[in-house]
Amino acid sequence: MSGTSWLIRFRVGDAEAALPVGIVREVTARPRIARVPGSHAFVTGVALHGGVALPVYDLARFAPLWSVPRPRSRERAPVDADHVIVCDWGEARLGLLGNDVDVVPSAPPEESQDRAHASRCGLSPDYVREILHREDEAVLLLDPERLFASLGVPAAEPRNAGEGGGEDDPARR
Amino acid sequence: MKLLMVSVGQDRYAVPADIVTQILDPALESELHLEPTEAVYRGERFPLRNLHTGAGEERGVSRIYLVLGAARNRAIVPVDGADAIRDVPSTAIAPLPSYIFAGTGRVFRGVFSDGGEPRLLLDQEGLL
Repeated sequence: MSGTSWLIRFRVGDAEAALPVGIVREVTARPRIARVPGSHAFVTGVALHGGVALPVYDLARFAPLWSVPRPRSRERAPVDADHVIVCDWGEARLGLLGNDVDVVPSAPPEESQDRAHASRCGLSPDYVREILHREDEAVLLLDPERLFASLGVPAAEPRNAGEGGGEDDPARR
Repeated sequence: MKLLMVSVGQDRYAVPADIVTQILDPALESELHLEPTEAVYRGERFPLRNLHTGAGEERGVSRIYLVLGAARNRAIVPVDGADAIRDVPSTAIAPLPSYIFAGTGRVFRGVFSDGGEPRLLLDQEGLL
């Protein structure tokens, strides 16, 4: 008999998504975010989180996540997301914008029609690990390996990253 | 680390003050001529680093030009204003992860807290 696993559920766009609680360091109110010209379109900007630069991602702007093109007006809506889900991923730390963030117990996945159901919710099935049903709603458990890799987040960064890789010393120490 | 605080459109950035060799007011500089990608100042050509374009901004109204130099590299950077110098400990500057950038030509290097606001530090190597 397995124990209950827990998920961080959040709303992104029109979809109810979730991530395993094990990769989530913290859920915070949306901090002040500096936009970074030259960054990917789905990077809202960077915030400071405990003295560390926290890149904040807006999944609503990450086109491959969505099975249907999102109207521009909807792309702008998540800008008002009121929370950031801070995740640890390898040696990287990143934030995801989200609304209606909650911690929920996992539920048995639906056995069939996962891909079709994901598409109906607007998310690409490629990024959905499981469809979980809670009461009348479907929660799409995202596949963090695939999602973060597609966002460009390295699974683990070498300590002594060379030029163009990893985090650099901004003060040239 | 002394930083010159500059504004570019709606954003504010920090430039390492030790690479700022001159601040030019185009209204007072008859020997400053601008071309699409270069500036000619007193007969010498400088690469022109346009932060407004990168930020998706239109050019500001009141502009000044920073002449940056380090080693043998030099560049001119138009900004809308330069209003303060701040001394920020290097330990207070958090490095930006390289993977957030869409291309290889990043012009920002770190971020620090400026009165509670995250403020980006321009990258000397990206500018020069």
